[in-house]
Amino acid sequence: MTAGIDDRPDSEAPDAGDPLPPDGMAPPTPGEPGSPDTDAAVWPKVLVGLLGMALVVWGVGNLFLALAYYPEWFANSKILIGLIALVAGVGGAYALFFFLNMFVEGLPGRLSRGVMPYAFLLPGFGLITMMLLYPTVQTINYSFANRDATEYVGLENYRTVFGLSEFHEAIFNNILWLIIVPATTVFLGVIVAVLADKLSAQSEKTGKMVIFLPMAISFVGASTIWLLVYQYDPPNEDPTGLLNAVWRAFGGEPQSWLQISTGRLNSILLMVILIWLQVGFAMILLSSAIKGVPEDTIEAARIDGATEFQIFTKVVIPQIKGTIITVFITVVILVLKVFDIVYVLTDGRDKTQVIANLFFAKLFRDSQSGQASAIVVVLLVAVTPVLIYQVRHFRREELGR
Amino acid sequence: MAQGKRRRLVAVGVVLPLALALTGCLQDPDKGGSGGGGTAGFADNSSADGDGTVTILGAYGGDEKANFEKALTKFEDESGIDIEYTEDTDFTTTIKTRVAAGDAPDIGFFPQPGGLLELAAQGKIQPIDTFLDIGTLEQTLVPGLLESTRLTGDPTGDGAVDGAGRMYGAPMRLANKSIVWYPKQAWDAAGLKAPTTLQGLFELTDQIKGTGITPWCMAWNADQATGWVGTDWIEQFVLSMVGPDVYNQWTSHEIPFDDPQIVAAFDEFAKIAKTDGVVYGGVQTVVNTQVAESMVPAFRDPAECMLERQGSFEISFLPAKIQADLDNQVGTFPFPAVEASAEAPPILGGADLAALFNGDDEDAIKVMQFLTSDQFGAEWAQAGGWLSPHKTFDASNYPNQTTKDIAEAAANASEVVFDGSDVMPKEVGSGTFWTGMVSWIQGESSQDTASAIEASWPQ
Repeated sequence: MTAGIDDRPDSEAPDAGDPLPPDGMAPPTPGEPGSPDTDAAVWPKVLVGLLGMALVVWGVGNLFLALAYYPEWFANSKILIGLIALVAGVGGAYALFFFLNMFVEGLPGRLSRGVMPYAFLLPGFGLITMMLLYPTVQTINYSFANRDATEYVGLENYRTVFGLSEFHEAIFNNILWLIIVPATTVFLGVIVAVLADKLSAQSEKTGKMVIFLPMAISFVGASTIWLLVYQYDPPNEDPTGLLNAVWRAFGGEPQSWLQISTGRLNSILLMVILIWLQVGFAMILLSSAIKGVPEDTIEAARIDGATEFQIFTKVVIPQIKGTIITVFITVVILVLKVFDIVYVLTDGRDKTQVIANLFFAKLFRDSQSGQASAIVVVLLVAVTPVLIYQVRHFRREELGR
Repeated sequence: MAQGKRRRLVAVGVVLPLALALTGCLQDPDKGGSGGGGTAGFADNSSADGDGTVTILGAYGGDEKANFEKALTKFEDESGIDIEYTEDTDFTTTIKTRVAAGDAPDIGFFPQPGGLLELAAQGKIQPIDTFLDIGTLEQTLVPGLLESTRLTGDPTGDGAVDGAGRMYGAPMRLANKSIVWYPKQAWDAAGLKAPTTLQGLFELTDQIKGTGITPWCMAWNADQATGWVGTDWIEQFVLSMVGPDVYNQWTSHEIPFDDPQIVAAFDEFAKIAKTDGVVYGGVQTVVNTQVAESMVPAFRDPAECMLERQGSFEISFLPAKIQADLDNQVGTFPFPAVEASAEAPPILGGADLAALFNGDDEDAIKVMQFLTSDQFGAEWAQAGGWLSPHKTFDASNYPNQTTKDIAEAAANASEVVFDGSDVMPKEVGSGTFWTGMVSWIQGESSQDTASAIEASWPQ
């Protein structure tokens, strides 16, 4: 089929209603040139479509270059440039799709129908390839290269990274985060969702809102807030940190909380922040799941003489298991990537290092792009099984609906 | 069928980006005629020569940029040259990228000699002897600065160094980090005297401690950069104890980081930082207090600490009401050397080094000659926060006595050495040296800390 189209010389390009069926397919329906049901190619459409696409890309491309290089053409006005960029961007995208559509419609019928969905998905796929696939492949590639990616060094980076005590510490801490944070978040989320469900409508709304509020704060913002909570001041000065103020009110000596690595207290204090941020998210999803549990199953259990606790563990929980797993996995992925909190509060000092922060330090502090890439690849390998499980779980859920 | 479809899909996928790539019909007008090549023997960038415009790339923005431009106005009016200054906080990386892309500015301000020498070795920078009078400069400049721009050996390691032995940059701004600050009112009330030797400094420390006041103010917390204050301290002790020559060998790794002389400097500093009752609030306070807040207890009534070693930028950290009455509230003395001598001790600091990329542009040369002369900077000095690297600079331009004292200490210094952590490779200078200092003050031994940093030095 491919050969049939591509090898056809231009001179043979037929006018509308060419009776020559390509590749001996079903004969064309006469009088309906260009409709997707015809099996003949409509060359004017194909050509205009191609030409149009090329023109749009060329025109918009040059317009954008002109915006960058010759702002004086646009009266040096940032607003005007912004507006033109907006119109040209949106209009250009529209025109591109218009010509792409024309091009595909001009193709012979069966081909046209086959290609159409891909043609419209192409920009999306293109973006994913450019923004996700390419960087991933390049990162894996660089993980085998030296510090500025000019020479391959084999497995050297992995050997160095696995030998770093900081890396062992980061792995240990990430595991600790994995054990504590998702489970606690889900647990608290379920508790809050169940308890809120028992409240009056108004209190439920208020209560949920308060717990959900932290979700609206960025990680860095939340970390800065908690930095103040854990603030240390010498004993002769007034406490500015909330935790120390409380601690001192009960007669304790001021503590620099984030430096206490005994029992990984400082790491746990960092985890508190993530839990504080995520409980709201867990609560919202779980709450709607709990509300979705059919009343008659609970009624039935009550009639059978089950206690409230039994109803909760044996009737409600099994029915919201899917949501629990979804929330759990989402938090697991978040925890594997945790960076902002550690970066802002301790930057990995006093045994609080995590993988993502170590990667950042290697790349930007030490300019070791090879080792940094190797760390990211390790992180990628760790996240992949969870991702696969999540996708599978999601599909099962979808099927169950 | 499916395969054919996929092949077509690939074809479209290839054609689209190709079409995009072919759109580069517009050329960046700023690039000018590339590949034209300059006069033989000149470092030349691609920008037009003699067009009355000189482009400069530097690291500082905000007020500093405004003050710099103020200092240029008169020169621009008289010469008719238009100077376009661009700021980039990530100068060190940007300049390398731009030079590699053939898009170098006419002039660059390097905060450290390392980056300058690297580009000089690639033949991208014009040696200053072709357009500046080295003899005059050597007489007017604080010693040590010009020498730091001399290209020796083979910094890139590719064996091809032309123009070794020549100098490639000239300072246009000086920084002095060897200053001890004190609250003047409390100091005068206690009748204290500035020491002239390191031993004297320790005696002063004991004397203050005896009066019931904690001698030293200290604060290291700078979030992700916590520890840099500690590195300045160590550098100061190394410089004071073993002098500029060994100091430079240490920062350039000709002697190992954990050389016994360096470990001794750590131990000496421990007498201040790790001794009970000598530092305000103890280790926990040091690590948890923001650098800029270090002297807050010094201005309480009564003063709760007396001494702080910090760079000339400490002025901007002081509380507003202290800044308003600076000369009456704050005093300074140079950090002393081991032995008192007639000339002032060497200082830890640095300079912004101006380097010329467009070697055959008369206008750029004129700007370079102006920037590196003692005539430059009066307006900037008056605005505050700027020190001239020239001993002959008119000190009456400085806005207050405190700045005059700092400038005088720098001008009299026997030598200026660059802040070691800026000269060392990034993973040490702004990595393990910082974190090492934090571990050290929290209890790690001097030898262990120094050895760990030495082990982290890139091969």
